[in-house]
Amino acid sequence: MGVRDDQKQATREKVLEAARDLFNDVGYEETTIRAIAERAGVSVGSVFTTFASKAEVLSHVMNHRLGDLYAEFDRVVPYLRGTTIDRLCSIFAVHYAFETRRVKLFLAHIAASYNPSAEPGVTPYGRNERLVQMLIDVLQDGVRKGEIRQDLDLADVIDVLKAAYAWNYRLAAAGGGVGDASAMSAAMDRQIAVMAEGWRPR
Amino acid sequence: MSFVSLNIESPTDAPLKLTRRALAKQRTRERVLSAARRLFTERGYEGATIRDIAQAAGMSTGAVFASFADKSELFDEILTADYEVIYAQMVQAARSAPTVDAALLGLFGVAYSFHLDQLPLLRASIAVSWTRNDAAERRSRTDLKHIFRLIGEVTQRGIDQGQLKSDIDAKLLAEITWDVYVANYRRAVFDAWTVDALLERLSDQLKVIFAGARV
Repeated sequence: MGVRDDQKQATREKVLEAARDLFNDVGYEETTIRAIAERAGVSVGSVFTTFASKAEVLSHVMNHRLGDLYAEFDRVVPYLRGTTIDRLCSIFAVHYAFETRRVKLFLAHIAASYNPSAEPGVTPYGRNERLVQMLIDVLQDGVRKGEIRQDLDLADVIDVLKAAYAWNYRLAAAGGGVGDASAMSAAMDRQIAVMAEGWRPR
Repeated sequence: MSFVSLNIESPTDAPLKLTRRALAKQRTRERVLSAARRLFTERGYEGATIRDIAQAAGMSTGAVFASFADKSELFDEILTADYEVIYAQMVQAARSAPTVDAALLGLFGVAYSFHLDQLPLLRASIAVSWTRNDAAERRSRTDLKHIFRLIGEVTQRGIDQGQLKSDIDAKLLAEITWDVYVANYRRAVFDAWTVDALLERLSDQLKVIFAGARV
């Protein structure tokens, strides 16, 4: 990488970090590109040479965070114990604990992905492939161990789990952007438990 | 009435005048609402300002504020009006279906059909629902209560008719059903799914959700 590329990369990092903090502390709608540039210590023009819009900045901030989230999984997943249901609950608990550190950022991400005027280059919310793969692994393992019915459609199960998982962030949205990870995990545990009654072999 | 002098307004004129004024007010509201609906659809909630809406309706910002306290009240009025249009149909669909699944697919099918015809506005309303203030959140919960009562009615009938176990957590199951119903709009927004495709998916999801609740 040349000096110019190094500089570009450094600017990018600074902008993403400044944007992440402002989106979470001040709010996404309230944050201007100018404020991001000021906080990052770069010019407004240099933000625009890297990103086409504020929505695109948000998309990149969210993609960037996946690195930290996945590092968290690599740390925790090998230690997951208990039944299939216990492990499903743990996976979601790790997510809630991670996302509630910057819950307003996460809520802004969901809101922005539904915005009808969303610009191209914006990543839709809900495409966390790693989460889906972990759920598949745990459920398939559960089928092998005889804890989950063989004729259960796992793709449908994952669909429902993801919907319930996402909607529990309403607890944070209703609380004015204060995320209580343990309350959300508890809600998720109840939802999983009530459905899993019917997932066991009959 | 002979004792009323001709140069003061006769009592019969008063209600007429009031009606005329009320009508004018009503027309102003409708003009604002129709302009607002168009702009929210095109630009989303944050992208449309009261000033834009006033301009599109051909009136002053002050005139808009005379009818609506703020932008969020204006937006809620649009959503509530839509909701009133479809709620009666949802009730009808829920009550005429023979099974729990058919009733739920019927009532959510009404909503999917309605909202897919105006997807941008639905997108704006979902976006707002994630970042709105407490007061707006409480208002929207009141509308939701009716729908949850309707879902509760469906599951109760399922219990009475022996389709569902009597000791199920109906409230929790209704919540999860609502979660997937809303989450499925992502398929319509990002992957252009049709109403039929959404209902087919919802049908599969209901099997997972109610797996433990069936007799």
